Amino acid sequence: MSLLSNTGTLLGKELRTEFRSRELLMTTVIFILVVIILFSFTFDPTSSDARRFGAGLLWLAFLFAASLMLQPCFLREQTNDTLSALRLSVSDPFAILLAKLAANTLFLLVTELLMLPVFAVLYNVPVFAVFGQLLLVFFLGSLGVSIAGTALSAISAQARMRELLLPLLLLPLLTPVLVASTQVTAGLLDVEPFVQWKGVGFLVVFDLVFLTALWLFGEYLLEE
Amino acid sequence: MKKSSLGAAAVVLLLAAAAYAAFFIAPTDSRQGVIYRIIFLHVPSAETGLVSFFICFVANVAYVLKRQPKWDWMGIAAAEVGLAFTTVCLITGPIWAKPVWGIYWTWDARLTSTAVLWLLYVAYLLLRTLIEEPDRRALLSALFGIFAFIDVPLVFGSIRWWRTQHPQPVIMGGPGSGLDPVMRAVLFFCWVPMLALMVLLMQSRYRLEAMRGDLDIVRRESEAA
Amino acid sequence: MKNLNSVFAAYLIAWGVFFTYYVTVARRAAALKEELERLKNSLNRGK
Repeated sequence: MSLLSNTGTLLGKELRTEFRSRELLMTTVIFILVVIILFSFTFDPTSSDARRFGAGLLWLAFLFAASLMLQPCFLREQTNDTLSALRLSVSDPFAILLAKLAANTLFLLVTELLMLPVFAVLYNVPVFAVFGQLLLVFFLGSLGVSIAGTALSAISAQARMRELLLPLLLLPLLTPVLVASTQVTAGLLDVEPFVQWKGVGFLVVFDLVFLTALWLFGEYLLEE
Repeated sequence: MKKSSLGAAAVVLLLAAAAYAAFFIAPTDSRQGVIYRIIFLHVPSAETGLVSFFICFVANVAYVLKRQPKWDWMGIAAAEVGLAFTTVCLITGPIWAKPVWGIYWTWDARLTSTAVLWLLYVAYLLLRTLIEEPDRRALLSALFGIFAFIDVPLVFGSIRWWRTQHPQPVIMGGPGSGLDPVMRAVLFFCWVPMLALMVLLMQSRYRLEAMRGDLDIVRRESEAA
Repeated sequence: MKNLNSVFAAYLIAWGVFFTYYVTVARRAAALKEELERLKNSLNRGK
């Protein structure tokens, strides 16, 4: 079976597992909501500051949420001891990683899009005019977060104190994603919206570099 | 024993020579006065740290592919030593910045990137303390080390781009920017003792880790006996 | 030269960091070596 069909099958499994209970999505959405609301207490959220700081706060909220949301990614397999079965079911172990990162990207994207109107209303920032462009930067950013996060989740699942460890490993690594996504998003939320193509370029490069690294070294992440 | 004391003595001499050059051979800077001499410590530390982390990266890849313990020992030694040099860079930066800019931290692109670099390798060391099984620890930390190092150019690039969006003071100017040729020569000379120090520290740390490996083997033998 | 103290402080701190690291590693190595000898000796006696 080819890589793509293996990945498709496993992706279906990941999505079915999550949509059965939807607990991961729900808790992530609520977490982002909590962070967004709490952030608003730290400055004047309806002034022009909101446009300046809004993008950064939004992406910080996404990153914090992701570092929590990615915990169960491999922990689930470890607790249920299903990783060896997974490995046997595919010819290319990369399919497992690809499926997980695709699922994680999708989950992140869904939560971000759910939170976008809330953010727009609470911080008085217009988003619908630039929705397409925002979707692009959300997708590229979430992809970067998922690629790195899936890899590091596989690592932290095998260590102690994994709930604290994963954010500690992940957040510094995602600095380029935070910087680039924030810049592009800030440009889109500006009074005169524009696309920071250099930032978009950075995100594409980040995604490609880490996807390649995952492809090269991913099978070792799944060793038992 | 004797060879290593000789090596240590040589490094100390080189460091002393570098300090002498930094204080007495390099001319005075007309704008900053004497404080700029920190550059002869700050820049070589930063660069040596990066060299150490590169060595760590090579060792990490070698371990993943070959699974020989010596690459794991090399990796941890290089990471710790790199962290020591990066720490010195991050301490000397603000010491320089305060008299010149009036504030300790200016969010200069390179210093900020160096701070993220520092966090990445602290995470690497922390990861190692949280995995008990030696082979697992070696493999997983090597994999994280690989991801961390390939992130480094992305971190530096993205932060530099971010900082050009909102120009801020640049610590020490760019590499060789407007540096007097004597200053540049002294700067280059000051790098040599740093590299020698890096080798010395890595050697002793590597030996320590190798000894740990031996101890594990002997312990297991004595338990079996 | 008003900032000379800062420059001295920087050099002293830097050398302090490296020296402390070197000494810490050397101490741990010495302790490990001792234990290694001890274990080896008890193994040899046992044989």
